[in-house]
Amino acid sequence: MIPRRLIRWVLVWTPVVWLALELLKYPKEVPQGGVAAVLGGFFSSSIGDYPPALLLVIAAGLLFWGGYVLATRRLAWRLAVALLATGAVVLWWALVNGGLLTAAGFSLSGRTGFYTWLWQTLALLGAAACVLAWGASYPERAALAVDRFGETWELFRSNRQGMVGLWIIVAFVLLALLAPFIADHARLATDAQYGHVPFEPPRWSYYYIMGTDENGLSVWAEFVWSARISLAVGLMATAISTILGAVIGIAAGFYGGGIGEFFMRITDAFLVIPWLPLAMVLAAVWGHNYGVIILIIGVTSWPGTARIVRSDALRVSALPFVERSRAIGSGSWHIMRKHILGNVFPLLFANTILVVAIAIIAETELSFLGLGDPLNFSWGTMLHNAWGSGGATLPAWWYIIPPGLAIVAVVLAFTFVGTAFDEILDPKLRSRQRLSRRRRPTAMDNLATVVATATIGGAVAGPGHGDTPSERRQVSD
Amino acid sequence: MDQRGYMMRKVMNAILTIVLVASFNFVLFRIMPGNPARLLLPRGKVAASDIQRQKAAFHLDKPLAQQFVYYWADTLRLRFGYSFAQKRPVTTIIGERIWATIILAGLGTVLATIFGMAEGVVAGWRRGSRVDTITTDVSMVNYSMPTFWQCLLAIMLFSVALRWFPVGGESEPLQHFNMWGPIPLDLTTAQTLLYHITLPVLMFALGYYGEYHLIMRSSLTGVMNEDYVLTARAKGLSGDTVLWRHVVPNALLPTVTLVMMNLGFIVSGAILVETVFNWPGIGLLSYEAMAERDYPVMQAVFLLGCVAVIVANLIADVMLYYIDPRVKA
Repeated sequence: MIPRRLIRWVLVWTPVVWLALELLKYPKEVPQGGVAAVLGGFFSSSIGDYPPALLLVIAAGLLFWGGYVLATRRLAWRLAVALLATGAVVLWWALVNGGLLTAAGFSLSGRTGFYTWLWQTLALLGAAACVLAWGASYPERAALAVDRFGETWELFRSNRQGMVGLWIIVAFVLLALLAPFIADHARLATDAQYGHVPFEPPRWSYYYIMGTDENGLSVWAEFVWSARISLAVGLMATAISTILGAVIGIAAGFYGGGIGEFFMRITDAFLVIPWLPLAMVLAAVWGHNYGVIILIIGVTSWPGTARIVRSDALRVSALPFVERSRAIGSGSWHIMRKHILGNVFPLLFANTILVVAIAIIAETELSFLGLGDPLNFSWGTMLHNAWGSGGATLPAWWYIIPPGLAIVAVVLAFTFVGTAFDEILDPKLRSRQRLSRRRRPTAMDNLATVVATATIGGAVAGPGHGDTPSERRQVSD
Repeated sequence: MDQRGYMMRKVMNAILTIVLVASFNFVLFRIMPGNPARLLLPRGKVAASDIQRQKAAFHLDKPLAQQFVYYWADTLRLRFGYSFAQKRPVTTIIGERIWATIILAGLGTVLATIFGMAEGVVAGWRRGSRVDTITTDVSMVNYSMPTFWQCLLAIMLFSVALRWFPVGGESEPLQHFNMWGPIPLDLTTAQTLLYHITLPVLMFALGYYGEYHLIMRSSLTGVMNEDYVLTARAKGLSGDTVLWRHVVPNALLPTVTLVMMNLGFIVSGAILVETVFNWPGIGLLSYEAMAERDYPVMQAVFLLGCVAVIVANLIADVMLYYIDPRVKA
């Protein structure tokens, strides 16, 4: 039996994700000509047109996973079939998108756009099928997961700061996804058609509510389209940082001795590298685009995560059930994946959300120094342009204040959510919250504590590991 | 752990890390994908003699393994080649620029430390009071702001609207100073200096203030829950004595580490502030070097930044040994 709640989630989230994916690749100009044109945009040729390399990696992952499940877990054959089918769809999609089949004489007679759209939809349905098949194959596990998730969500919902943060994030994500409908992308081109007065203060007009920039372009349109880049760069850099940090942290914590020492040495070396000069060097060598920025932020921001994960992994490795698991013959890989990752995960998750905030600020700083992609806007790029064109001395406040406020709002929102999760997942903090509620509550009490702990645990891991009092406390209890 | 063993271990660690980082620096500029060795040669129309000099300076005509040896020999002798943009040795340029950064960051750090920590102590001690709520909220917001945005706002408000301070780039007062020679201490120079430095220093301090406040406050809160604080209170000590004799000294320990770490990051931390205010220090130098693709300068500044952090870490470790008895145990 698949848990009913799981079915409901799949029914709700499949269309939502589908819509989000569609909007990401929606044609950038506001459609002219009524409902038909708006709907037509959802089937346009740009939809589902992703880099083939990305699709290939996803396909390979799905196929490998499906094969693995098929080979080792006979009872989960439904999951294996769903995975393999989805993998096949994505693989076909990648091959056609990459033009590999065209070279082999296969032709879709110019209808590639429509097919990529179809494949995206099919792949998403396949993913939904995978989730359902997983629920059917492991009903108890699914029920447990659903229960736990529901519990966490209830706790999160009762956390006011967390909910405020969540709503701010939702608002900005909607702004980013719906950008084509909110502001015409054509307004961003230095085109005579929309040529306006440079540095014109705001006036009552939809596009000029935030005034104009140094080229007479609408600041509002730039603001809206910047949300996309800023959020996307922040999220993707965090993904890289978290994966690196988790892998290295868990490995260092699980294997003591030589291997652990080796990983910590690398972490320490990365911790002392001042990231901004490194980023400037790398951007100058590799060129100015967002791929490089994502890579730079991801590669330079993982040591903090690694240290936090390591100290927790050390704690978990010493717990008796790990020893028992080893006694019944579990391998290291199994223990790290199932027991240590499972127990470290809450901490990792809360930390990840806090890293998003840091990554967004980092992107802004790099873009402000002119390392961003000159062809795309992000909030940092806007501020770079404003400053570079002398907007600060004018002072063109309408050009400088909105992007900055947006950054502060998004960063605070992610910090709120991350802290809320920290409180939910760490009972010690929860009790502290209750304590402070009995006295007079301070709005950002826990928030301040969590951020401070993250900074101490991460950035200030200065003296050789295990030597700072905070860390020693973590390891010993 | 005995003192000698501890110090030896820390110093060895620091040296090892410096060796790692310096080797990484070599790798970064010579082996990285994307036109490696040529990065260190000037581009465009350059006289053949310039290229020859640069090649000789970086030993680019030799095999990679030999280059590595020469790189170490040069680095140890503080030779970093010639700047493309200024046609002068990189070491000289850095020597000229470093004082501006030290003055800016030194004053800024002192300010941030004093105000941030004092506030943190007050806020942590009176947790839940209005002072705590306001200062902590302000710190959180400050912590989530990009530093350069604060600088831009400050310029718009104080320099442009109120005309209290110069707009960055109006003049460069420190250019007249030869930092290695005697510093002219007449009134006019001091005035000019003060006029130009106030806003950058305040902004630099603001960049760290929120962090120091949050750390100090959380550290203080942690210490206040310890048993010995309860004991001190039970002995009948006054609130002030408990705070200054028992709580603050213990709460300071993690903060000392943080401040030392940040001191190490001065070189990189000043980049944004110096760029916005056109302050002629190392930060602005690295920004200019990036804009002009002046790789020899970038390489040297990068290495300097790394070494500064490592040395600051080492100092923090040594200090921790003397002020935290638990390290000795």
